[in-house]
Amino acid sequence: MTHPFRELVVGGVLVAPFVTYAVAALVMFLILRPILRLSGFVKLFSHPSIAELSVYVTILGLLTVLF
Amino acid sequence: MTSEFVMSVTTGPIPRQVAGVPFASWAFGIRVWIAVVVALYAGFWLELESPLSAAITVGILAVPTRGQALEKAGFRFFGTMIGVVASIALIGSLSQARDLFLLAFAAWVGLCVYVAALSDGFRAYGAVLSGYTVALVAIQMIDTPDHVFDFGMQRGAAIALGIAAIAIVNDLLVAPNRHLELAAQLAALHRRVRDQAKAAIRGEATDPTATAGLLRETAALRSEITSLVTESSSGPTRSAAARSTAVALVAQIHAVRVLKALPVDVDLAIRDRMTSALEEAGDERPPTDQMTASLDWAFRELLRRDQDVREGLAALRSGARPARPWRTPFYFCHRLAAEAGVRAAIWLALASTFFVLAGWSAAEASLVQLTAFIGLGAISPNPRAFTVGALIAAPIAAILAGVLDFLILDGVTEFPLLALALAPFMIGAAVLTTLPNQVLAGIGRLNLIFILVVAGLSNPQTYNPEVFLDSALFVCLAPALLLAAQFLIPPVSDERRRQQLMASARREIDQLSFGQAERYAPEEAMFRDAVRIGQIAGAGAPGPQHRVVLDEALTLFDQAAMIRLCDASLRGLTEGLLARLADQARRALGRRHVQSIRRAASDIQEAAPEDALARAASGALQVASLVMERKGP
Repeated sequence: MTHPFRELVVGGVLVAPFVTYAVAALVMFLILRPILRLSGFVKLFSHPSIAELSVYVTILGLLTVLF
Repeated sequence: MTSEFVMSVTTGPIPRQVAGVPFASWAFGIRVWIAVVVALYAGFWLELESPLSAAITVGILAVPTRGQALEKAGFRFFGTMIGVVASIALIGSLSQARDLFLLAFAAWVGLCVYVAALSDGFRAYGAVLSGYTVALVAIQMIDTPDHVFDFGMQRGAAIALGIAAIAIVNDLLVAPNRHLELAAQLAALHRRVRDQAKAAIRGEATDPTATAGLLRETAALRSEITSLVTESSSGPTRSAAARSTAVALVAQIHAVRVLKALPVDVDLAIRDRMTSALEEAGDERPPTDQMTASLDWAFRELLRRDQDVREGLAALRSGARPARPWRTPFYFCHRLAAEAGVRAAIWLALASTFFVLAGWSAAEASLVQLTAFIGLGAISPNPRAFTVGALIAAPIAAILAGVLDFLILDGVTEFPLLALALAPFMIGAAVLTTLPNQVLAGIGRLNLIFILVVAGLSNPQTYNPEVFLDSALFVCLAPALLLAAQFLIPPVSDERRRQQLMASARREIDQLSFGQAERYAPEEAMFRDAVRIGQIAGAGAPGPQHRVVLDEALTLFDQAAMIRLCDASLRGLTEGLLARLADQARRALGRRHVQSIRRAASDIQEAAPEDALARAASGALQVASLVMERKGP
């Protein structure tokens, strides 16, 4: 199951789809950060840094699959 | 961190050591090595034009904690973007006029050094990076100006890759968080401030250098406090808590200084009760009924600041929002920054002239290194000492890179062998950076980058001895040439820095404005003054003359802070007679006239003996008059 990826074109420069996804996922993750803090997400894990990285990878994966 | 400070925090368990180096340092070294290998592998796999830049990025971002690495990464990325834009502008407008181009390039680097001197920590690094990125991009592309955009994009991609490599490796291998150690450092500083407070209650004299040292160490934590933001999702609140703690700590140091300025004419029993009130942290009622009004005010102030510090530390440890969100403003001197910028531009212009006259075709590589040394030296405490360090580190790195290329690898083309061969060099250099010896740490930091630069790793690796010798020679030539330029035009001297900083402190106290909304709260302004005292303490070797300067700086700090505190408490008096008396008091404070301040204090006290606000303002004014009266320790 594959779907076509659209390239982003900024002023004549082609940006690879993965870069677009990675940046979009980073923006979404940064928006999520205050919510994660308020919901006590960090306290659920022994290694919060790995948990946060996993959240980022999940968002990136979902973006790649869905869009 | 001074050795004195290290001694004061040895209360915790001794860290586990392997071969005389803490386990945490080895873990850091292994993380750096893995990240370098990951970055190189990904760079080769993606067929980047300069996979080495990704590995060098990892070497540059090799800092022991996650938050700091991410913050530095952010500034590295944005600094590079600004530098690439500046390169395109310079190449686009001046690529046909070599001399003008080099002149404009020197001016740009000077401007970046000036901007870097206006801030601290990784922000300053970002500023100088945007300066020497122009060297990396525009100077290297000077003969092929139409490729400058492609080259800039490639460099951006390589840097992004390096950042991703170190970020993922730090996350997966659980690089330590900074906030626990920072809380321990702040708590240790707090203990030392309380010791000084107890000494002040006992009436013992303390050394001004010790107080200046405390202020300097507290202010020096500023950039690390900022790095907490990027550490985790609770980072911004922890950073705010740490900021408030640091500001409260400076305010407590001021309260101790004020207490020392007052005549503590109470008997031993009262002194003991004061000490235990400080130790019991608010559980015991302070014996204020047997004190003079001024001593009462100063002691309450000390207890209040102590309470603020403890609350801030608790908030930092628990990740809660602090009760008082204070900022930590940075002090900078425009004139000193401009002088540093002009010197940087002149050094670069001299070196460029030398290279133009020498007429070497590969000289741009050396000019690139030299620009990087100018930039990195500008954000180190002593530019010339940095250049000397680079001059020592460069040949060591060249030899090590030669050993790596021609003895260990020697024609190997398999990536796993390259990864294994890099291990001792990367881990060794990274472990060196964590040593308390500043010279060794500096050599380690430079080697981590130089070894990669000189070894010139590419796919496929050429193993060309001529190329290696060229790059080794130019890496060693750059610091030598810069040192020559710095002997010709010396960097801003410590004496000059001290004079300028003291002059600005004197100017500011004369120009304090009253009665209007200030840019900073009194406590924030105290922190800013503490940053300046830290800069004064850092300029010059300890000695009797330095002591005199520090003593004056501390006296100005006491007075300015006291005037601001008085102004803040006078702002509560807004009605009729009291408002007029408050205006009189402000005028007296502005002139720093002891008798007038004292008269204003008693007038306010008599005008409204029952008013709590008036009593507080009167107490503050009395203390201010005593602080102004005090000459020297």
